[in-house]
Amino acid sequence: MTSKKKSLKIALTVFILLIGLVSNFPFLFMISSSFKVSGEVMKFPWHLIPENPTLMNFQALLTNGIYNFQKWYLNTVVMTALTIVIKIFFVSFTAYGFARIKFKGKDAIFLVLLSAMMIPSDIMILPRYMIFKNLHILDTMWSLILPSCVDVYFVFLLRQSFVSIPDSLSEAAKIDGCGHFRIYWQIIFPLAKPAIATMALFSFTWSWNDYMGPYLYISTMDKQMLSVGVKLFSSGLIQDYGSQMAAATAVLLPILIAFLFCQKFFIEGVASSGVKG
Amino acid sequence: MSKEKTPVFKTKEKASIAQKKENRYGWLFISPYLIFFTVFTGIPFVIAIVMSFLNMKYITRLDNLKFVGLQNFIKVFTNKEIMASLIRTFQYSLVYVPLIMILGFVLAFMLNNGVYMKKAMRSLVFMPYVSNMVAVAVIFKVLLGNNSPVIVALRNMGFDPPLLLLNLKLALPTVAMISVWKGVGLNMVVYLGALQEVPAELLEAAQIDGATKWQRIRSIIIPMISPTTFFLVISSIIGSFQNFTCIQALTEGGPGQATTVMSVNIVRTAFTKYETSLASAMAFVMFALVMIVTLIQWRGQKKWVNY
Repeated sequence: MTSKKKSLKIALTVFILLIGLVSNFPFLFMISSSFKVSGEVMKFPWHLIPENPTLMNFQALLTNGIYNFQKWYLNTVVMTALTIVIKIFFVSFTAYGFARIKFKGKDAIFLVLLSAMMIPSDIMILPRYMIFKNLHILDTMWSLILPSCVDVYFVFLLRQSFVSIPDSLSEAAKIDGCGHFRIYWQIIFPLAKPAIATMALFSFTWSWNDYMGPYLYISTMDKQMLSVGVKLFSSGLIQDYGSQMAAATAVLLPILIAFLFCQKFFIEGVASSGVKG
Repeated sequence: MSKEKTPVFKTKEKASIAQKKENRYGWLFISPYLIFFTVFTGIPFVIAIVMSFLNMKYITRLDNLKFVGLQNFIKVFTNKEIMASLIRTFQYSLVYVPLIMILGFVLAFMLNNGVYMKKAMRSLVFMPYVSNMVAVAVIFKVLLGNNSPVIVALRNMGFDPPLLLLNLKLALPTVAMISVWKGVGLNMVVYLGALQEVPAELLEAAQIDGATKWQRIRSIIIPMISPTTFFLVISSIIGSFQNFTCIQALTEGGPGQATTVMSVNIVRTAFTKYETSLASAMAFVMFALVMIVTLIQWRGQKKWVNY
């Protein structure tokens, strides 16, 4: 490498690093502010490390008399976990059917599913409300879980990954007397783990961050999810920036940590499949 | 291999029994999904179509329903407020789509052309993508608000920064830029994947032939990644139309009506004004517009997309 090239590489690295730092500054600001006493949040000059670090803001989250932050947190954890588990089985089972079994009508149905991907969510808002009401799942977390389990996108994606697993493996199992259920569970499912991990992570992100669903379909305060909760919290405590930042930190941290530990599945999953959420 | 195509070993009759069994299994595997899909996507879609031709108000009251033909759709196009929100949606797209495309490409290009710690850099830019929009909105409202350390720092440097989210003219582009910030990592990663597929020999050959860097970008790289650009343009446009969360979290459609785009207006029409049928018609108009834009792109792709 010539020295000119090398210095260009260093310059580019510094430049991207700067962009990265600027674009992550809001998160740094948030975490730093969540440990500051309220007056210090807006203080100029700004310090990354709080002068008088305090856990007061997090305590305020847990002990304020108006909002049940713990309940929202618990709801969101339960809802997200249920969504991930149900979605993985539901979608992978269906994808197996489309990828590994040849049956009549398959292509036509697959085409219908694909074209349904283009329907924007705005159209579904009201009719879903009516259907949830009739199924008596309005104002429960099932109104968030069940619709997201029919995610066409991941049926499509898992199907692609199942198709790429060599036929010879399941043929051999078939000769040994395995039925489709065992082939699905003992061969295909374990072999497709990277794709399933990508799906699990994206489901986690989307469910955890969903705002429109709980905003529209959940009305009882105690059944509410974090996204809506944080918004209520921040509009209720207008001046208390410290607690607002603590609330934002509590919401963002699990997802940022998940991202830091599983970047590979997130980013390579996107790069290889073009996930667009 | 399908059993029917191996008659050497099996008679046709036997094969068809096996095929029937496969048919049964196939349907067994997909039917739970199909039932749920019908309930949560199929039926709602049909209801939405029907609703948009009725005079329905309120979601639960089903008395006095009447077929009104295209009346709701006519109202969408003649109502000034709705048209204004539709125009705002386009204005939002006009900021969002070009920015997220150009920035996504430039960042991917820089990452691909030699930086140290490529993976760490990639993650740094991708990070906002996974974050929660509402939490992000809480942070930005503080950061862009009066007396925030950032604003004060700018003032001390002699600038007079406007309060972006409270400014009638600047609120909409600001919201669009915040969603570019949040989403650009995804475009970057997808572009990065495409750039890595561009054959190095081709670039080297061009370099030997004396092509400048700019010529290589224009005549080799951009045409080679055009299918990715095409995919990203379409999904970015669709994404820019479905911007409810971002706007509701940041400005709730304000100040005044400055950021009341179509998606926000649809929810407001449905759940605040209870104009159920009108909201449904609005959603279909938006759907139709997305389809038209996509179809135009689809037609136009022959001119610039190379497969």
